[in-house]
Amino acid sequence: MDKALQSGRLHYMDHLRALAMLAGVLFHAALAYSPLMQPFFPTADRQSSPLVDVFVWLPHLLRMPLFFTVSGFFAAWIIAHRGPTGLLRQRIRRIALPFIVAWPLVFLAMSAATTWAANHVQHPSPLLRLIHDWQANPDAPSLPPTTAHLWFLYYLLLFGILHWIARTLDFAAPGRWLLRHSPGLLLLGLPLLLTLALASVSAPHPAPEGLLPQFWAILFYGAFFAFGALLYGQPEWLERAKKLLWPLLAACALCYPLFLWQLSMETPSIAAPTASWLVALLEGCLAVWLTVASLLLGRRLLDRPSPIMRYLAQSAYWTYLLHLPLLLLVQYHLMDLSMAWEWKFLLATSVTIAVCLLSYQLLVRHTPLRRFVG
Amino acid sequence: MTAAFSLSGIAKRYPHFALQDISLQLPEGQIMGLVGVNGAGKTTLLRLLTGLAAPDAGEVQVLGHRLPEEQVAAKRDIGFASEDMRLYRSQTLRWHMTLVQRIFPAWDETYADELLRRFDLRAEQAVGGFSHGQRVKALLLLCLARRPRLLLLDEPTTGLDPVARIEVLEALSDVLRDEQRSVLFSSHNTHDVEQLADTITFLHNGRLVDSADKESFLDRWRRVVCQGTAPADLQQWPELASVRNSGSLVEIKARHWNEQLPDRLASLGLQVQRVDSMALEDIFVTAVRSGAVA
Amino acid sequence: MTNNASIIRLLVAKDWQLFQKQLALYVLAGIVALCLLALAKPWAFYLGSLMLIVVVVAAACFSISASLMVERKEHTLAFVMSLPVSPWDFTIAKLLGNLVTFGVPFLVLCLGTLGTVLFTPLPDGLFVYALLIFGYVLFAYSVALSIAMTVESEGWNTFAMIGSMVLINPFIMGLAQIDAISSQIEQDAIVWSTPAVAILLTQVILSVAVLGFTVWHHARKPAFY
Repeated sequence: MDKALQSGRLHYMDHLRALAMLAGVLFHAALAYSPLMQPFFPTADRQSSPLVDVFVWLPHLLRMPLFFTVSGFFAAWIIAHRGPTGLLRQRIRRIALPFIVAWPLVFLAMSAATTWAANHVQHPSPLLRLIHDWQANPDAPSLPPTTAHLWFLYYLLLFGILHWIARTLDFAAPGRWLLRHSPGLLLLGLPLLLTLALASVSAPHPAPEGLLPQFWAILFYGAFFAFGALLYGQPEWLERAKKLLWPLLAACALCYPLFLWQLSMETPSIAAPTASWLVALLEGCLAVWLTVASLLLGRRLLDRPSPIMRYLAQSAYWTYLLHLPLLLLVQYHLMDLSMAWEWKFLLATSVTIAVCLLSYQLLVRHTPLRRFVG
Repeated sequence: MTAAFSLSGIAKRYPHFALQDISLQLPEGQIMGLVGVNGAGKTTLLRLLTGLAAPDAGEVQVLGHRLPEEQVAAKRDIGFASEDMRLYRSQTLRWHMTLVQRIFPAWDETYADELLRRFDLRAEQAVGGFSHGQRVKALLLLCLARRPRLLLLDEPTTGLDPVARIEVLEALSDVLRDEQRSVLFSSHNTHDVEQLADTITFLHNGRLVDSADKESFLDRWRRVVCQGTAPADLQQWPELASVRNSGSLVEIKARHWNEQLPDRLASLGLQVQRVDSMALEDIFVTAVRSGAVA
Repeated sequence: MTNNASIIRLLVAKDWQLFQKQLALYVLAGIVALCLLALAKPWAFYLGSLMLIVVVVAAACFSISASLMVERKEHTLAFVMSLPVSPWDFTIAKLLGNLVTFGVPFLVLCLGTLGTVLFTPLPDGLFVYALLIFGYVLFAYSVALSIAMTVESEGWNTFAMIGSMVLINPFIMGLAQIDAISSQIEQDAIVWSTPAVAILLTQVILSVAVLGFTVWHHARKPAFY
């Protein structure tokens, strides 16, 4: 992506990626202190605060759609500059190979850390307790492996194939038509489409970590990937959407509290495992509007070269691969301490980010690894 | 002078057809017309020259390469277009041109564009939408633009409308102006052969009937009209191809005209009324019908 | 036989450009099938696995038919043969092309199915069973491809292609008759019974032998006609 940065117009895309990556670390760290995630997250601390739930779901709704949009945009960029074979080579080098190598390592690291935690942490989370009991049972069936947080790479590869199919069978025409018209059309229409996908899973929508591809994830994240790819060919859409920035932000400011309130009323249960249409619609609206607003804000505020942002953008991939196992390890150790959750959160995030950046500087930046994950 | 190609003692057997004892040569820079009826063996002969078929006996040499062992090297300098050849219907002419251009370094893009104009072809059109004439011209373009040393064309003008036929003949004449290039084209349209060829070869029933330069043919053959009645054994004369009685007139077609013939005929009571030269078509039909082998 | 590597690469690229669209449809169907399997509902599982088998078989037939039979029927073969290629180059190019258009989907679906068997609640005994079925598809494909490379008649080729694939049904029924294999299907363990090993080995060896012999036979041809 370095070469892409030579062209001034793409600074903000890369900077958005860097910010989204950092937000990801903060998000995953914060989940440990979210009352909503108490039953489900392995690092759920005995200390939690409703304040976390107020803030944490905003980056959740925005982060991955933004990542996929930027990825789609850059995929289209590579095809335009280096052709389809160039894209294939880039995908293999930057995504397929790192995925194949990192996946077993990440999975083993996280399993080892979790197993250790299940057996040693004095104040385990409900999930850790469950795992502990499960492991104590000799007859317990082994769970199928998941792609863990590397599901993003898995779906990027899948979208690469679908992108090829769309180009070969010329499926892009309706998308191009949509982007030629008023931005309002996409801003109102896309959330409706995404509601269908989001209503088939629980809310807040989970991470599609399964080994087999899932319809809802392909539709939801694929829509953003396609949007990004189409945006490359029709950048004037963003220009036309500029005037909608403040209305968008206002609408998000209205929908988000509504979403939180609705979420608090609907706890997932066996009887209703999937989100209600209203929640799904709110999720869809927020995902689309927050993503577009980020693009517009980024364009306005981040579109100039900055050495710090550039460094963060370049280290973002390595940080992404490393941060979750590292975070789990740190937070498992923090679980037995009686610090206030704010301090635990601060400690966990700063240690994780520091180790990621340091390891990037020492192991990646000036080594052959840079071509793959740098 | 190297031979563009040479066949010696060629035999090729198929279940219902056999090419026998063909020996043929074409010096470089010449154009040979191969004339024969349908099923005479023209296509088989051309396939042997491109290495697409291997002879059962004899030797094939094309541009100094032995075929079919060295067919890859030979085909680099050969342009072959045949009547049963088709291009990929779903692809454009431009796609085919790019494909050929990648394979043949001698591809001349300027010449190709000029041919597009002369042949009135649209490069961006899918080949499936071409008419028969356009398809033939497209195949020819793909052959000509790569500047082959030897052009082998199987019935290039068959089935073309008059305008397309002239376009193709003109393009072929341009090739002739280059003295390094040789052309072998087969046809049953003797007018085209007469117009273009230096050398003419007659093929019939898998055998070489005759092969000589055009002037030779035209010099040797004569149509003689005599007064009188032809004796039965006149047909046996080796110089005569056909003898036809028509009332008091006898029409003789001679394959080897010489000055002594009128006197010899007179000695049989046949008075020569007129002697005409024959058109190539007439020569061909007579040669085939008389069934004589060179 | 010297290998004309650059020409072979161009021929394979040419085939790829010609058949991209159909291939894209097959891959799309394969992805939809995998998504159906992911739904983890009985009807979706049945539909998804059916689609997978259809995609694999269709990809096999398409691969052979598009690369060889259609070329002959449409007489584009003559055009290709007029390029500086030998019969050997042509054979290799077609083989490589087929390896990709059939081999890649076949491998992905085979590994995907076996992975699904191992990592989901499905009984692991299906592993051997599924492998034998994929082995049969491989064998049927080798036979159909060899016949397509050798015989010119479109009728015989179509018969060989469809016939060999349709025989998958009797094969599956035959497997069910073999006690050593059918009894293991419901078990949650991978058991390599002697009949299973024998059948799998036979499939693989015969596939390689049939294709190998055909390729060798073509290599000895000096000319196309």
